[in-house]
Amino acid sequence: MRKHKSDLVILFATLGLMALGLIIIYAIGPMRSNVLNSTYGTNYSDNYFFLGQLRSVALSLIAFFAAFKWIPVKFIKKFAKPLMIIAIILSLALWLLSMTGSSLAKCELGECRWFNFGPVSFQPAELMKLALVIYLADFFARKREDGVVGQWREFWLPLLIVSGISLFLVVIAQGDLGTGVAMIAIILGMLLLSGISTKQYLIFLISIIIVGVGAIATSSHRMERIYAWVDTISGAESNDSTYHIENAMLAIGIGGFTGVGIGNSVQATGYLPESINDSVFAILGETFGFVGLFVIISIFGALLMRTVKVAEHTDDVENRLITVGVFSWTLAQVVVNIMAMTGLVPVTGITLPLLSYGGTSMIFIAFALGLVLQISCYTNREVIKNENISSRRGIGGTHYTGRRRSSRTS
Amino acid sequence: MPRNKYQDSTSQEFHSKGDVHRLKILRILVAFSLGIILVRLFVIQIIEHGSWVAKADEEHTLLETISARRGEIYMMNGDEPVAVVLNQTAYEIIIDPTVTKKETIEYVINTYVKDYSKANLDEIYSTEGLRYSIVAKNVPRDIAEKIAHDEKVSAVWLKKINQRVYPEGELASGLLGFVNDEGVGQYGVEGSLNDELNGEDGLLKTTVDVNQVALSVDNDSIEIPAKDGANVVLSVDRGLEEGIEEISKNTIASSAATNASVLVMKPGTGEIVAMANLPNYDPNNYSEVVDASAYKNYAVDDPYEPASICKSFTFSAAINEGKMTGDTTYFNNHYDTIDGWKIENAEQRSTLYGPISMRTALYWSLNTGSIQALRLLGDNPSEITQEGRERLYDYYYNKFRLGQVTGIELIEQTGFIPDPNEGWGRDSTYANMTFGQNLAITMVQTAAAWSAVVNGGTYHTPTIVKGTYVDGELKTGKESGVAVAEDVNDQILTPETSAAMREMLKNNRSYRAQLGIDPAGYDLGGKSGTAQVVINGAYDDSFSQLVGSYIGYIAPSGEMPEYVIMVRMWGAGQSIGSGDAQALFESLSKYLISYYKIQPGVVK
Repeated sequence: MRKHKSDLVILFATLGLMALGLIIIYAIGPMRSNVLNSTYGTNYSDNYFFLGQLRSVALSLIAFFAAFKWIPVKFIKKFAKPLMIIAIILSLALWLLSMTGSSLAKCELGECRWFNFGPVSFQPAELMKLALVIYLADFFARKREDGVVGQWREFWLPLLIVSGISLFLVVIAQGDLGTGVAMIAIILGMLLLSGISTKQYLIFLISIIIVGVGAIATSSHRMERIYAWVDTISGAESNDSTYHIENAMLAIGIGGFTGVGIGNSVQATGYLPESINDSVFAILGETFGFVGLFVIISIFGALLMRTVKVAEHTDDVENRLITVGVFSWTLAQVVVNIMAMTGLVPVTGITLPLLSYGGTSMIFIAFALGLVLQISCYTNREVIKNENISSRRGIGGTHYTGRRRSSRTS
Repeated sequence: MPRNKYQDSTSQEFHSKGDVHRLKILRILVAFSLGIILVRLFVIQIIEHGSWVAKADEEHTLLETISARRGEIYMMNGDEPVAVVLNQTAYEIIIDPTVTKKETIEYVINTYVKDYSKANLDEIYSTEGLRYSIVAKNVPRDIAEKIAHDEKVSAVWLKKINQRVYPEGELASGLLGFVNDEGVGQYGVEGSLNDELNGEDGLLKTTVDVNQVALSVDNDSIEIPAKDGANVVLSVDRGLEEGIEEISKNTIASSAATNASVLVMKPGTGEIVAMANLPNYDPNNYSEVVDASAYKNYAVDDPYEPASICKSFTFSAAINEGKMTGDTTYFNNHYDTIDGWKIENAEQRSTLYGPISMRTALYWSLNTGSIQALRLLGDNPSEITQEGRERLYDYYYNKFRLGQVTGIELIEQTGFIPDPNEGWGRDSTYANMTFGQNLAITMVQTAAAWSAVVNGGTYHTPTIVKGTYVDGELKTGKESGVAVAEDVNDQILTPETSAAMREMLKNNRSYRAQLGIDPAGYDLGGKSGTAQVVINGAYDDSFSQLVGSYIGYIAPSGEMPEYVIMVRMWGAGQSIGSGDAQALFESLSKYLISYYKIQPGVVK
């Protein structure tokens, strides 16, 4: 397969969303500092959150271009198993550390999800998502090659064990339902393209739903969120649990058609919890209005549609599975986050890809999208379409491109 | 080679219908979920936008009151207003029992504010969920500053409040009233002119963050500045008021009376220059008053029966209608029987039996005389007629404005004048009315009407507010910005009637003048009144409890009256005759002459 130009829509959608995230954090970061300083007596500067986001974007760009240009996907695929093992070990270590009360485990509201290394923190659940995508791509491709897809011992058992362990560590040990939802989406999305029969897929889907409902119903903490959600959409009296959704919807509602404009958000001044990370969509709605959200959703929509297109035109099974994995990951986070903010589903605590404040989550999704972009350089359909461009690049071309092309076609 | 084979097989497999179909599912999933989201956003942002904005307004807006400064109250000191009610900054001490240590607040109270605290700390600290408690009030600034700078004190809050101060203490307390804990004026001028004194609080409407801190992003900040209350200047003369209260207090002390109410009015204008209610109370500590009746301004807020004083009104009516003069005679039988009720004169001396003049009847305050005046008013010397009742009613109610609010700038009661054609025993009722019983009128109504009797016949609306004090300048009339009572200036009697009444009222005091009790060079005229008190719905004929009243005027000899003084004295269970009241009038009139340095007239 010859290398050609990458998918520009995915490229510019990713960069554009990162820029937008920077702008909104620049606008509301000072408010966030002010709220934290006056509530907890901290001493965050006005630029603290903007600089933090700038650092995250810089690291994310490195991760993005590393996955896009510098690290061949073939090389990454070799590490499918080790990566998964590392992710599991890290999560396991975090769990053990949190149980021993070590300061290396950073906990918020009783949930320990971060490693704490002084000024830098790291969330292993984000690595888990990436590892899961790469591991499952490798696993499904191998099983498909071996022709054992759908067999209990060869296929289902290892799948259930790996999924079960990783989900347990994220959802139970770290209490991170949001990431759990994204992981289930990844599993379901990639399984769909694993070559499994429709019947088996549906059985699995229904089982997941039953287990999911059971897990929610047996946890008072999760049921509370459901009740809060029901209370909010049914317009019941406000209480502490409905506060988050209510204020998210309030922010979006205030925005109206064109929004209140950059820096004029009132909801970001402390009314809306998690205004810079999980709730950033609501602040975007307040700031840019329906028009702005329409554009943002269109960008996500284009990004997702193009990702499906890359999958459609990728011949390599494993690459295709990686693409679908990244697609599922992104779709789950976008849809679950926005639906929570608009009262369509209960709040689960999930970031909005590329827009929310936060380092680890942005770096990993940027890396994942970079992989898709690299894969998009080897699609079958684009070869013909982009032949001219490709050869033009070849003529003036860098040594790198030329070398890669020749190596591929040999 | 296997690699190629693998690629072929996957390629084939991939292009199988199943996989293409499954990828289409993913596209549909994207379109479907994002479509739902867009519809939802359209509903929230476009359709429901208005209601969300309204809700946001509610949550983000802080309404803060900008307190208006309450106006001060002034009396006159000669021609200059002088403050008798002031404002002072004081502090409240507030604690949050969940935060403030009990030892800390105990230390604060014991060290600094023992005199200002009535708090029960045990109760405060055992009340569950209590987050706010005022433990001391009216703490002066210097003490508050000491507390604020005491490093041992933490989690104790000082709240600045505006405190009302009455530097003259008890002076004119019944007239001035007080301001309660909620900042609302009660009784007296504080009560009646509360709105004017209070001004209008301003309003600050700002968008605030979650910690209630105003945001600069907001363009909708509204600030309505506070309108400070008016500094009200009373026509009351501070020095005169003080002297009158002093004399009244002493008179009470040397009599059986417990209470006295005094009113000094300028009959030519209706202006009140003194209004006293004894005993006073201290408005600085108004809450220490046990019986709320102590707050009452009896001069305007308590209708009663001024009794024989009203003979002045009955006589004025009959003379003004041309039905009689002071020289008109009638046969005094010491009593009359009306509607089967025997009405006796208080004075039964035998020399008065037989034909006597109306002047004599007024001098001895004979009830038979005023009843005769009512008969004459009805054009029938031997019977009370409907016409007579109607005419008396017309004078009492419409002309003298008795039983009506006068319009003075104080809280006043209406009182009551019986209807001439309704009810049972009308004639006896009206016979009683001629000497001031069977009706209920206030002192200020009586004094205003009586002023018309002696001032040449013009009724002036009584008034006690002179104007306002703005930037060191006295503003009167419309300029003052407060509603000063509008003078009806109604000529209700002919000057001749008034002159005839003055002559008879002066005659009432002729022997006092001869005795040298009334100072030479001045004309003093007056009328006493002793009212029986209604006990259990009937007049108490045992005379065990009486209210004594006296009204009189002071004029330089041969000139028009300059002041009218009305005095009322009473005491629960005590028989206070008009003698006590008359004695007080006499003391006050002398004081008044010397206070105002009224020059004696030329005795013709």
